[in-house]
Amino acid sequence: MTPLQFEAQHVAAWQELEAALAPASRKRKSAPADRARVAALYRAACEHLAMAESRSYPVWLIERLEALTSRGHQLIYRQADFGIDKLRRLFAVDFPRAVRAHRLQVLIALAAFAGPLLVVGVLSYFDPSLILSLQDASSVEQYEGMYGDPDGPIGRRNAASDWGMFGFYIRNNIGVAFQCFAGGLFFGIGSLFAVAFNAVQIGSTAGYLTWRGFGANFYPFVITHGAFELTGIVLAGAAGLILGHALLVPGRRSRLAALEHAARGAIVIVYGMTAMFAIAAVLEAFWSSARWVPASVKIGVGAACWVAVIAYFFFQGRPRGGPAGAP
Amino acid sequence: MTASPSAVESRLDTRYAAETPEGIALWLRPAGIVPRLYAYLVDIAIRFVFYSISFLFLALLGTFGEGLALVLFFLLEWLYPVAFELSSGAATPGKRMLGLTVVMDSGLPITPAASLTRNLLRAADFLPSLYAFGLISMLFRHDFKRLGDLAAGTLVVHAPRTEFLLGTPPPALARAPAVPLTARAQAAVVAWAGRVTRLTDARADELAEIAVPVVAPRAMGGDRVAALVGVAHWLLGRR
Repeated sequence: MTPLQFEAQHVAAWQELEAALAPASRKRKSAPADRARVAALYRAACEHLAMAESRSYPVWLIERLEALTSRGHQLIYRQADFGIDKLRRLFAVDFPRAVRAHRLQVLIALAAFAGPLLVVGVLSYFDPSLILSLQDASSVEQYEGMYGDPDGPIGRRNAASDWGMFGFYIRNNIGVAFQCFAGGLFFGIGSLFAVAFNAVQIGSTAGYLTWRGFGANFYPFVITHGAFELTGIVLAGAAGLILGHALLVPGRRSRLAALEHAARGAIVIVYGMTAMFAIAAVLEAFWSSARWVPASVKIGVGAACWVAVIAYFFFQGRPRGGPAGAP
Repeated sequence: MTASPSAVESRLDTRYAAETPEGIALWLRPAGIVPRLYAYLVDIAIRFVFYSISFLFLALLGTFGEGLALVLFFLLEWLYPVAFELSSGAATPGKRMLGLTVVMDSGLPITPAASLTRNLLRAADFLPSLYAFGLISMLFRHDFKRLGDLAAGTLVVHAPRTEFLLGTPPPALARAPAVPLTARAQAAVVAWAGRVTRLTDARADELAEIAVPVVAPRAMGGDRVAALVGVAHWLLGRR
């Protein structure tokens, strides 16, 4: 068969596939019959390409078929990875399960967080001047203004700035968490540093404010969103450590393959941790700072949040009738 | 495709084949630093303009607008590439302008998880400053992956062309070759005929001079180009 005969015989099918792949026709929802037709046309085009190559047909034919098949391939193998079902499954099963599956990295991140937090917290309580070597004087002054107000339970700010603070928490905290994850690419060192750095900041602030006697203002403020934010920091660090761990201990894979594999698990934790920071931002901006809520209620709700978060990671997403402790 | 590329060619040529389940090869042509840098600059400019315009309006709303501006800034900073890479072109506007697209290194369309991974790890590529680690990684690799691409298993490639350099041969009187031609020789004659319109007359004639003595010896004295194009037509099936 000559190239021209070949082209004449199949050009109608190619044109039909080209039309189906055009951006305009991809916009509208296609019926299942159409999709089956596109798949059949795509397989036929693949076959034509293989024949054209083995018969050394002219380059323009081969290039046309190559372009056609590669565009068809992109369309046919596109994953429908979004959707409510996927999202529900992510938070009901995948996220808590991924956290449990990487308990080593989570525990290391927890140690890198809780250790400095407690040590620096206790040290700054007994030696309040320490905070000045860890944070600059102007932020310490700011804490005084924020939590030192004797009138209200939390002398934070007026309600109008809640939105401003919400934006700040989203941009700043989630940005820092993403950087903490990315730092894991440097054998985990970046993540460990980011986690410990945050722990030192929080620990010194808490220790100092407790020494100043502002604990009654400070703790009701932080307890609720802390349940999400502090766990979020630990999980961001853990996600980074998963990458670092794969590079340091690749096991039976090459380092690159191990990194790729680990990233697929880590990104699930990144999804979840981003959601936790978003929850924390909402709580911190609109609930923690609310003057109309009595401190005792905040403590109660905060404690409930802590219990819920911890229970979520221990029990959620386990197979039914599985090991002891499953709901 | 017909002949396996030599060792030198495969070291020089950055394109590589990803095999599909249908048994065909998808040729991926990884994009190097320069087009990706241009695409990045275009994207920066787009984001800057968008952010400045929306900031003008949000500034009217006081602290509420300030909060929204920060959320917007966060989204533009981290999720702008993700949103565009998951849309149908699989590329940010800058990449689209440069004819680039992002795929998995298996040739498959990019997954949401991979897109998020490669774009969050930008923070690592950026270090110590101005994407230094990303650039070093790209320079050392045959497929120009930056660190984020390595972890996500993604590749920035030149999008498949929709217009081709090789056209159909110009019209000429079909004539049979004097000797039977091998498949490779046939392909060479047809490929040459497809390029004739883009060659200067002298160059076309110079190339024809190599083939004509064998393929159509009687046309040596006359219009060699027309004779060889005629052979190409005959080979294509116009007889």
